[in-house]
Amino acid sequence: MGVFVFLPLVLPLTAWPIARLAEQHLHPRTATRLLTAVAAVMAVCSTVCLGLVMVVGTAQLPGNPLPDGWSDPEVREAVPYDEIVGKAAIPALCVVLVACGRTLWRHARVRRRAHRALAGLRPTEVAVLPDGAPYAYALPGGRRDRVVVTTALLQCLEPAERRALFAHERAHLAARHHRFLLAVQLAARANPFLRPLRTAVAYTAERWADEEAAQVVGSRRTVACAIGKTALVSRGTPVVTLAGFAAAGPVPRRVAALLGPAPAARRWPSVFTTVGLAVWAAAAGTAVSAMSSANSAVTMVLILYAATPL
Amino acid sequence: MAEQQRPRRRGQGELEALVLSALRDADGPATAGWVQERLGGDLAYTTVITILTRLLAKGAVTRERVGRSFAWTSASDHAGLAAHKMRKVLDSESDREAVLASFVTGLGPDDERLLRELLGQHRSERED
Repeated sequence: MGVFVFLPLVLPLTAWPIARLAEQHLHPRTATRLLTAVAAVMAVCSTVCLGLVMVVGTAQLPGNPLPDGWSDPEVREAVPYDEIVGKAAIPALCVVLVACGRTLWRHARVRRRAHRALAGLRPTEVAVLPDGAPYAYALPGGRRDRVVVTTALLQCLEPAERRALFAHERAHLAARHHRFLLAVQLAARANPFLRPLRTAVAYTAERWADEEAAQVVGSRRTVACAIGKTALVSRGTPVVTLAGFAAAGPVPRRVAALLGPAPAARRWPSVFTTVGLAVWAAAAGTAVSAMSSANSAVTMVLILYAATPL
Repeated sequence: MAEQQRPRRRGQGELEALVLSALRDADGPATAGWVQERLGGDLAYTTVITILTRLLAKGAVTRERVGRSFAWTSASDHAGLAAHKMRKVLDSESDREAVLASFVTGLGPDDERLLRELLGQHRSERED
Protein backbone atom coordinates (compact mmCIF):
# COMPACT_ATOMS: atom_id res chain seq x y z
CA MET A 1 0.00 0.00 0.00
CA GLY A 2 2.61 2.53 1.10
CA VAL A 3 1.78 6.20 0.67
CA PHE A 4 -1.26 5.27 -1.42
CA VAL A 5 -3.32 5.09 1.75
CA PHE A 6 -3.11 8.86 1.98
CA LEU A 7 -4.48 9.36 -1.53
CA PRO A 8 -8.10 10.01 -0.47
CA LEU A 9 -6.89 12.98 1.54
CA VAL A 10 -5.22 14.78 -1.37
CA LEU A 11 -7.07 13.47 -4.43
CA PRO A 12 -9.90 16.03 -4.01
CA LEU A 13 -7.39 18.48 -5.51
CA THR A 14 -7.92 16.74 -8.85
CA ALA A 15 -11.59 17.77 -8.88
CA TRP A 16 -10.71 21.44 -9.42
CA PRO A 17 -10.38 21.29 -13.24
CA ILE A 18 -13.67 19.44 -13.64
CA ALA A 19 -15.35 22.00 -11.38
CA ARG A 20 -14.13 24.84 -13.59
CA LEU A 21 -15.02 23.13 -16.85
CA ALA A 22 -18.39 21.76 -15.72
CA GLU A 23 -19.37 25.22 -14.47
CA GLN A 24 -18.68 26.75 -17.86
CA HIS A 25 -19.64 24.11 -20.36
CA LEU A 26 -22.21 21.69 -18.99
CA HIS A 27 -25.91 22.34 -18.50
CA PRO A 28 -26.21 23.75 -14.96
CA ARG A 29 -28.48 20.88 -13.88
CA THR A 30 -25.97 18.24 -15.00
CA ALA A 31 -23.09 20.23 -13.52
CA THR A 32 -24.81 20.60 -10.11
CA ARG A 33 -25.60 16.90 -9.86
CA LEU A 34 -22.20 15.78 -11.12
CA LEU A 35 -20.16 18.07 -8.87
CA THR A 36 -22.27 17.30 -5.80
CA ALA A 37 -21.84 13.56 -6.39
CA VAL A 38 -18.07 13.93 -6.87
CA ALA A 39 -17.79 16.06 -3.73
CA ALA A 40 -19.84 13.60 -1.68
CA VAL A 41 -17.84 10.52 -2.78
CA MET A 42 -14.51 12.23 -2.17
CA ALA A 43 -15.56 13.59 1.21
CA VAL A 44 -16.76 10.19 2.42
CA CYS A 45 -13.56 8.48 1.22
CA SER A 46 -11.41 11.17 2.81
CA THR A 47 -13.18 10.85 6.16
CA VAL A 48 -13.09 7.03 6.11
CA CYS A 49 -9.37 7.17 5.30
CA LEU A 50 -8.76 9.61 8.14
CA GLY A 51 -10.63 7.32 10.52
CA LEU A 52 -8.68 4.25 9.45
CA VAL A 53 -5.30 5.99 9.67
CA MET A 54 -6.24 7.06 13.17
CA VAL A 55 -7.20 3.51 14.12
CA VAL A 56 -3.97 2.00 12.78
CA GLY A 57 -1.81 4.74 14.25
CA THR A 58 -3.29 4.44 17.72
CA ALA A 59 -3.78 0.66 17.90
CA GLN A 60 -0.29 0.13 19.35
CA LEU A 61 -0.65 2.75 22.06
CA PRO A 62 -0.96 1.07 25.47
CA GLY A 63 -4.41 1.04 27.02
CA ASN A 64 -6.40 1.52 23.82
CA PRO A 65 -9.69 -0.35 23.47
CA LEU A 66 -8.99 -1.52 19.90
CA PRO A 67 -8.43 -5.22 18.97
CA ASP A 68 -4.81 -6.37 19.45
CA GLY A 69 -4.69 -7.67 15.89
CA TRP A 70 -4.85 -4.10 14.60
CA SER A 71 -1.37 -3.38 15.89
CA ASP A 72 0.16 -6.35 14.00
CA PRO A 73 3.27 -5.49 11.97
CA GLU A 74 1.45 -6.29 8.68
CA VAL A 75 -1.23 -3.74 9.44
CA ARG A 76 1.25 -1.11 10.53
CA GLU A 77 3.28 -1.71 7.40
CA ALA A 78 0.26 -0.62 5.37
CA VAL A 79 0.43 2.87 6.83
CA PRO A 80 3.81 4.62 6.54
CA TYR A 81 4.84 6.73 9.54
CA ASP A 82 1.88 5.20 11.37
CA GLU A 83 2.73 6.65 14.77
CA ILE A 84 3.00 10.30 13.74
CA VAL A 85 0.21 10.16 11.18
CA GLY A 86 -2.06 8.24 13.50
CA LYS A 87 -1.73 10.76 16.27
CA ALA A 88 -2.16 13.66 13.87
CA ALA A 89 -5.29 12.01 12.53
CA ILE A 90 -7.04 12.15 15.92
CA PRO A 91 -7.42 15.95 16.09
CA ALA A 92 -8.06 16.11 12.34
CA LEU A 93 -10.94 13.69 12.64
CA CYS A 94 -12.33 15.57 15.63
CA VAL A 95 -12.20 18.84 13.69
CA VAL A 96 -14.05 17.24 10.76
CA LEU A 97 -16.77 15.77 12.97
CA VAL A 98 -17.28 18.97 14.95
CA ALA A 99 -17.33 21.14 11.80
CA CYS A 100 -19.86 18.86 10.09
CA GLY A 101 -22.02 18.72 13.20
CA ARG A 102 -21.99 22.48 13.48
CA THR A 103 -22.91 22.91 9.83
CA LEU A 104 -25.91 20.60 10.22
CA TRP A 105 -26.99 22.31 13.41
CA ARG A 106 -26.76 25.77 11.89
CA HIS A 107 -28.64 24.64 8.82
CA ALA A 108 -31.51 23.45 11.03
CA ARG A 109 -31.35 26.62 13.12
CA VAL A 110 -31.56 29.04 10.19
CA ARG A 111 -34.53 27.16 8.79
CA ARG A 112 -36.29 26.96 12.13
CA ARG A 113 -35.76 30.63 12.94
CA ALA A 114 -36.81 31.80 9.49
CA HIS A 115 -40.01 29.75 9.65
CA ARG A 116 -40.70 31.08 13.12
CA ALA A 117 -40.29 34.65 11.87
CA LEU A 118 -43.03 34.01 9.31
CA ALA A 119 -45.31 32.16 11.77
CA GLY A 120 -47.78 35.02 12.17
CA LEU A 121 -48.43 35.41 8.44
CA ARG A 122 -51.11 33.67 6.45
CA PRO A 123 -49.72 30.36 5.09
CA THR A 124 -49.37 31.50 1.50
CA GLU A 125 -46.59 30.25 -0.75
CA VAL A 126 -45.16 33.73 -1.24
CA ALA A 127 -44.50 35.84 1.85
CA VAL A 128 -44.18 39.54 1.00
CA LEU A 129 -42.48 41.47 3.80
CA PRO A 130 -42.71 45.27 4.11
CA ASP A 131 -39.01 46.01 4.38
CA GLY A 132 -36.74 48.69 2.95
CA ALA A 133 -33.96 46.20 2.24
CA PRO A 134 -34.34 44.47 -1.13
CA TYR A 135 -33.88 40.72 -0.82
CA ALA A 136 -35.50 37.46 -1.87
CA TYR A 137 -35.00 33.97 -0.53
CA ALA A 138 -36.32 30.49 -1.09
CA LEU A 139 -37.08 29.00 2.31
CA PRO A 140 -37.31 25.21 2.15
CA GLY A 141 -39.54 23.39 4.60
CA GLY A 142 -41.25 20.36 3.07
CA ARG A 143 -44.93 21.25 2.73
CA ARG A 144 -44.19 24.68 4.18
CA ASP A 145 -41.93 25.72 1.29
CA ARG A 146 -42.04 29.50 1.01
CA VAL A 147 -40.68 32.27 -1.14
CA VAL A 148 -39.73 35.31 0.93
CA VAL A 149 -39.51 38.63 -0.87
CA THR A 150 -39.54 42.23 0.32
CA THR A 151 -41.64 45.10 -0.98
CA ALA A 152 -38.47 47.10 -1.66
CA LEU A 153 -37.33 44.47 -4.18
CA LEU A 154 -40.74 44.06 -5.83
CA GLN A 155 -41.01 47.84 -6.31
CA CYS A 156 -37.92 48.05 -8.48
CA LEU A 157 -38.92 45.17 -10.79
CA GLU A 158 -41.38 45.21 -13.66
CA PRO A 159 -44.22 42.64 -13.71
CA ALA A 160 -42.41 40.25 -16.06
CA GLU A 161 -39.25 40.50 -13.96
CA ARG A 162 -41.25 39.72 -10.82
CA ARG A 163 -42.55 36.60 -12.51
CA ALA A 164 -38.94 35.70 -13.33
CA LEU A 165 -37.93 36.21 -9.70
CA PHE A 166 -40.75 33.99 -8.40
CA ALA A 167 -40.02 31.34 -11.03
CA HIS A 168 -36.35 31.37 -9.98
CA GLU A 169 -37.15 30.88 -6.29
CA ARG A 170 -39.76 28.22 -7.04
CA ALA A 171 -37.18 26.35 -9.12
CA HIS A 172 -34.86 26.31 -6.07
CA LEU A 173 -37.63 24.80 -3.96
CA ALA A 174 -38.94 22.35 -6.55
CA ALA A 175 -35.47 20.91 -7.27
CA ARG A 176 -34.54 20.89 -3.53
CA HIS A 177 -31.37 22.90 -4.19
CA HIS A 178 -30.73 23.35 -0.47
CA ARG A 179 -29.83 19.65 -0.28
CA PHE A 180 -27.11 20.04 -2.89
CA LEU A 181 -25.80 23.12 -1.12
CA LEU A 182 -25.78 21.35 2.25
CA ALA A 183 -24.04 18.29 0.79
CA VAL A 184 -21.20 20.31 -0.74
CA GLN A 185 -20.89 22.39 2.40
CA LEU A 186 -20.46 19.26 4.50
CA ALA A 187 -17.95 17.95 1.95
CA ALA A 188 -15.96 21.19 2.16
CA ARG A 189 -15.90 20.80 5.96
CA ALA A 190 -14.70 17.19 5.66
CA ASN A 191 -11.84 18.10 3.36
CA PRO A 192 -10.82 21.73 2.72
CA PHE A 193 -9.55 20.77 -0.74
CA LEU A 194 -13.21 20.37 -1.73
CA ARG A 195 -14.01 24.06 -1.15
CA PRO A 196 -13.84 25.03 -4.84
CA LEU A 197 -16.54 22.46 -5.49
CA ARG A 198 -18.77 24.18 -2.96
CA THR A 199 -18.31 27.53 -4.72
CA ALA A 200 -18.92 25.87 -8.09
CA VAL A 201 -22.13 24.16 -6.94
CA ALA A 202 -23.44 27.37 -5.34
CA TYR A 203 -23.00 29.01 -8.75
CA THR A 204 -24.42 26.18 -10.88
CA ALA A 205 -27.48 25.86 -8.61
CA GLU A 206 -28.25 29.55 -9.22
CA ARG A 207 -27.71 29.07 -12.95
CA TRP A 208 -30.01 26.03 -12.87
CA ALA A 209 -32.77 28.12 -11.27
CA ASP A 210 -32.09 30.92 -13.78
CA GLU A 211 -32.55 28.53 -16.70
CA GLU A 212 -35.77 27.12 -15.22
CA ALA A 213 -37.07 30.65 -14.70
CA ALA A 214 -36.17 31.54 -18.30
CA GLN A 215 -38.24 28.61 -19.51
CA VAL A 216 -41.21 29.58 -17.34
CA VAL A 217 -41.32 33.24 -18.37
CA GLY A 218 -40.23 32.43 -21.92
CA SER A 219 -37.52 35.08 -22.07
CA ARG A 220 -33.90 34.75 -21.07
CA ARG A 221 -33.47 38.52 -21.22
CA THR A 222 -36.21 39.17 -18.68
CA VAL A 223 -34.46 36.90 -16.19
CA ALA A 224 -31.13 38.58 -16.93
CA CYS A 225 -32.69 42.01 -16.33
CA ALA A 226 -34.31 40.87 -13.08
CA ILE A 227 -30.97 39.57 -11.76
CA GLY A 228 -29.07 42.64 -12.91
CA LYS A 229 -31.51 45.12 -11.39
CA THR A 230 -31.73 43.20 -8.13
CA ALA A 231 -27.96 43.06 -7.82
CA LEU A 232 -27.63 46.79 -8.50
CA VAL A 233 -30.24 47.83 -5.91
CA SER A 234 -28.94 45.45 -3.23
CA ARG A 235 -25.26 46.12 -3.72
CA GLY A 236 -24.90 47.17 -0.08
CA THR A 237 -22.97 44.01 0.78
CA PRO A 238 -19.80 44.02 -1.30
CA VAL A 239 -17.85 40.80 -1.58
CA VAL A 240 -14.41 41.01 -0.06
CA THR A 241 -11.90 40.07 -2.74
CA LEU A 242 -8.40 41.05 -3.62
CA ALA A 243 -9.04 43.80 -6.15
CA GLY A 244 -6.04 42.84 -8.27
CA PHE A 245 -7.25 39.30 -8.76
CA ALA A 246 -10.94 40.04 -8.92
CA ALA A 247 -12.42 37.95 -11.69
CA ALA A 248 -15.99 38.65 -12.72
CA GLY A 249 -18.24 37.72 -9.81
CA PRO A 250 -21.09 35.22 -10.04
CA VAL A 251 -23.79 37.79 -10.78
CA PRO A 252 -22.30 39.27 -14.00
CA ARG A 253 -21.44 35.74 -15.14
CA ARG A 254 -25.04 34.65 -14.66
CA VAL A 255 -26.34 37.69 -16.55
CA ALA A 256 -23.84 37.13 -19.36
CA ALA A 257 -24.84 33.45 -19.56
CA LEU A 258 -28.50 34.38 -19.83
CA LEU A 259 -27.83 36.96 -22.52
CA GLY A 260 -26.03 34.24 -24.50
CA PRO A 261 -27.63 31.17 -26.07
CA ALA A 262 -29.41 28.53 -23.96
CA PRO A 263 -27.18 25.65 -22.83
CA ALA A 264 -27.79 22.31 -24.53
CA ALA A 265 -29.76 20.08 -22.18
CA ARG A 266 -28.56 16.61 -21.23
CA ARG A 267 -25.74 16.48 -23.76
CA TRP A 268 -22.04 16.41 -23.08
CA PRO A 269 -19.83 18.25 -25.57
CA SER A 270 -18.35 16.03 -28.29
CA VAL A 271 -14.89 14.59 -27.64
CA PHE A 272 -13.70 15.98 -30.97
CA THR A 273 -13.76 19.63 -29.88
CA THR A 274 -11.15 21.27 -27.66
CA VAL A 275 -13.70 21.93 -24.94
CA GLY A 276 -15.14 18.42 -25.22
CA LEU A 277 -11.69 16.87 -24.98
CA ALA A 278 -10.91 18.91 -21.88
CA VAL A 279 -14.25 18.09 -20.22
CA TRP A 280 -13.95 14.39 -20.95
CA ALA A 281 -10.32 14.24 -19.83
CA ALA A 282 -11.18 16.06 -16.61
CA ALA A 283 -14.22 13.83 -16.04
CA ALA A 284 -12.12 10.70 -16.61
CA GLY A 285 -9.41 12.04 -14.28
CA THR A 286 -11.96 12.79 -11.59
CA ALA A 287 -13.56 9.36 -11.98
CA VAL A 288 -10.17 7.64 -11.71
CA SER A 289 -9.28 9.75 -8.72
CA ALA A 290 -12.61 9.05 -6.99
CA MET A 291 -12.14 5.34 -7.69
CA SER A 292 -8.59 5.20 -6.35
CA SER A 293 -9.80 7.14 -3.37
CA ALA A 294 -12.51 4.54 -2.77
CA ASN A 295 -10.02 1.75 -3.51
CA SER A 296 -7.61 2.98 -0.83
CA ALA A 297 -10.39 3.24 1.72
CA VAL A 298 -11.72 -0.25 0.93
CA THR A 299 -8.21 -1.79 1.02
CA MET A 300 -7.62 -0.35 4.48
CA VAL A 301 -10.94 -1.76 5.68
CA LEU A 302 -9.99 -5.19 4.27
CA ILE A 303 -6.55 -5.18 5.94
CA LEU A 304 -8.10 -4.33 9.29
CA TYR A 305 -10.83 -6.92 8.77
CA ALA A 306 -8.22 -9.63 8.05
CA ALA A 307 -6.32 -8.67 11.21
CA THR A 308 -9.41 -8.71 13.44
CA PRO A 309 -9.47 -11.81 15.68
CA LEU A 310 -12.85 -13.51 15.35
CA MET B 1 -58.47 16.35 31.25
CA ALA B 2 -57.18 19.87 31.31
CA GLU B 3 -54.02 18.54 29.66
CA GLN B 4 -56.02 17.32 26.68
CA GLN B 5 -57.66 20.70 26.21
CA ARG B 6 -54.32 22.21 25.38
CA PRO B 7 -52.99 20.27 22.38
CA ARG B 8 -49.38 21.48 22.37
CA ARG B 9 -47.15 24.23 23.59
CA ARG B 10 -47.40 27.17 21.26
CA GLY B 11 -44.25 28.69 19.84
CA GLN B 12 -43.10 32.17 20.74
CA GLY B 13 -43.90 33.51 17.25
CA GLU B 14 -47.43 32.16 17.38
CA LEU B 15 -48.14 33.81 20.73
CA GLU B 16 -46.78 37.14 19.51
CA ALA B 17 -49.03 36.90 16.47
CA LEU B 18 -52.05 36.13 18.68
CA VAL B 19 -51.41 39.06 21.01
CA LEU B 20 -50.76 41.41 18.10
CA SER B 21 -53.99 40.48 16.33
CA ALA B 22 -55.95 40.88 19.57
CA LEU B 23 -54.48 44.34 19.96
CA ARG B 24 -55.33 45.23 16.37
CA ASP B 25 -58.96 44.29 17.01
CA ALA B 26 -59.17 46.77 19.86
CA ASP B 27 -60.68 50.23 19.28
CA GLY B 28 -57.79 52.38 20.42
CA PRO B 29 -55.32 51.61 23.21
CA ALA B 30 -55.99 48.50 25.31
CA THR B 31 -54.65 47.23 28.63
CA ALA B 32 -52.84 43.92 29.10
CA GLY B 33 -55.85 42.68 31.08
CA TRP B 34 -58.12 43.38 28.12
CA VAL B 35 -55.77 41.47 25.82
CA GLN B 36 -55.69 38.53 28.21
CA GLU B 37 -59.50 38.45 28.36
CA ARG B 38 -59.73 38.75 24.60
CA LEU B 39 -57.49 35.69 24.16
CA GLY B 40 -59.86 33.57 26.21
CA GLY B 41 -57.91 33.72 29.44
CA ASP B 42 -55.74 30.64 28.77
CA LEU B 43 -52.60 32.78 28.95
CA ALA B 44 -51.24 34.01 32.27
CA TYR B 45 -51.28 37.77 32.79
CA THR B 46 -47.50 37.80 33.18
CA THR B 47 -47.14 35.92 29.88
CA VAL B 48 -49.20 38.57 28.11
CA ILE B 49 -47.03 41.30 29.68
CA THR B 50 -43.85 39.46 28.59
CA ILE B 51 -45.08 39.11 25.02
CA LEU B 52 -46.19 42.76 24.87
CA THR B 53 -42.77 43.86 26.12
CA ARG B 54 -41.11 41.71 23.47
CA LEU B 55 -43.33 43.22 20.79
CA LEU B 56 -42.40 46.67 22.09
CA ALA B 57 -38.71 45.89 21.62
CA LYS B 58 -39.46 44.86 18.05
CA GLY B 59 -41.30 48.10 17.37
CA ALA B 60 -44.55 46.27 16.68
CA VAL B 61 -46.50 47.96 19.52
CA THR B 62 -46.34 51.25 21.43
CA ARG B 63 -47.50 51.98 24.95
CA GLU B 64 -48.49 54.98 27.04
CA ARG B 65 -48.94 55.26 30.76
CA VAL B 66 -52.56 55.48 31.87
CA GLY B 67 -52.87 55.76 35.63
CA ARG B 68 -50.88 52.93 37.20
CA SER B 69 -50.70 50.67 34.15
CA PHE B 70 -49.90 50.90 30.46
CA ALA B 71 -52.24 51.13 27.51
CA TRP B 72 -50.93 49.32 24.44
CA THR B 73 -51.49 50.11 20.77
CA SER B 74 -50.37 48.05 17.80
CA ALA B 75 -47.89 49.90 15.62
CA SER B 76 -47.44 47.43 12.79
CA ASP B 77 -49.24 44.48 11.31
CA HIS B 78 -48.18 40.83 11.12
CA ALA B 79 -46.20 41.41 7.95
CA GLY B 80 -44.23 44.22 9.57
CA LEU B 81 -43.44 42.05 12.56
CA ALA B 82 -42.42 39.16 10.32
CA ALA B 83 -40.17 41.50 8.31
CA HIS B 84 -38.49 42.68 11.48
CA LYS B 85 -37.88 39.12 12.71
CA MET B 86 -36.63 37.98 9.31
CA ARG B 87 -34.13 40.81 9.18
CA LYS B 88 -32.84 39.73 12.58
CA VAL B 89 -32.42 36.14 11.38
CA LEU B 90 -30.59 37.27 8.24
CA ASP B 91 -28.34 39.69 10.13
CA SER B 92 -27.36 37.19 12.79
CA GLU B 93 -26.68 34.17 10.60
CA SER B 94 -23.39 34.45 8.79
CA ASP B 95 -23.76 31.26 6.76
CA ARG B 96 -27.38 31.48 5.87
CA GLU B 97 -26.29 30.99 2.26
CA ALA B 98 -26.24 27.24 2.72
CA VAL B 99 -29.94 27.17 3.53
CA LEU B 100 -31.45 30.19 1.90
CA ALA B 101 -30.30 30.41 -1.68
CA SER B 102 -30.23 34.17 -2.17
CA PHE B 103 -31.49 35.57 -5.47
CA VAL B 104 -28.28 37.54 -5.90
CA THR B 105 -25.04 37.63 -3.99
CA GLY B 106 -22.91 40.71 -3.36
CA LEU B 107 -21.04 42.37 -6.18
CA GLY B 108 -17.26 42.51 -6.42
CA PRO B 109 -15.31 45.73 -7.14
CA ASP B 110 -15.57 45.52 -10.93
CA ASP B 111 -18.86 43.68 -11.04
CA GLU B 112 -21.06 46.73 -10.96
CA ARG B 113 -19.43 48.28 -14.01
CA LEU B 114 -19.52 44.95 -15.83
CA LEU B 115 -23.17 44.46 -14.97
CA ARG B 116 -24.14 47.94 -16.17
CA GLU B 117 -22.25 47.28 -19.40
CA LEU B 118 -24.06 43.99 -19.96
CA LEU B 119 -27.49 45.46 -19.24
CA GLY B 120 -26.76 48.60 -21.27
CA GLN B 121 -25.67 46.48 -24.20
CA HIS B 122 -28.89 44.50 -23.97
CA ARG B 123 -30.98 47.68 -23.83
CA SER B 124 -29.36 49.17 -26.93
CA GLU B 125 -29.81 45.86 -28.77
CA ARG B 126 -33.49 45.91 -27.98
CA GLU B 127 -33.87 49.43 -29.27
CA ASP B 128 -32.30 48.54 -32.63
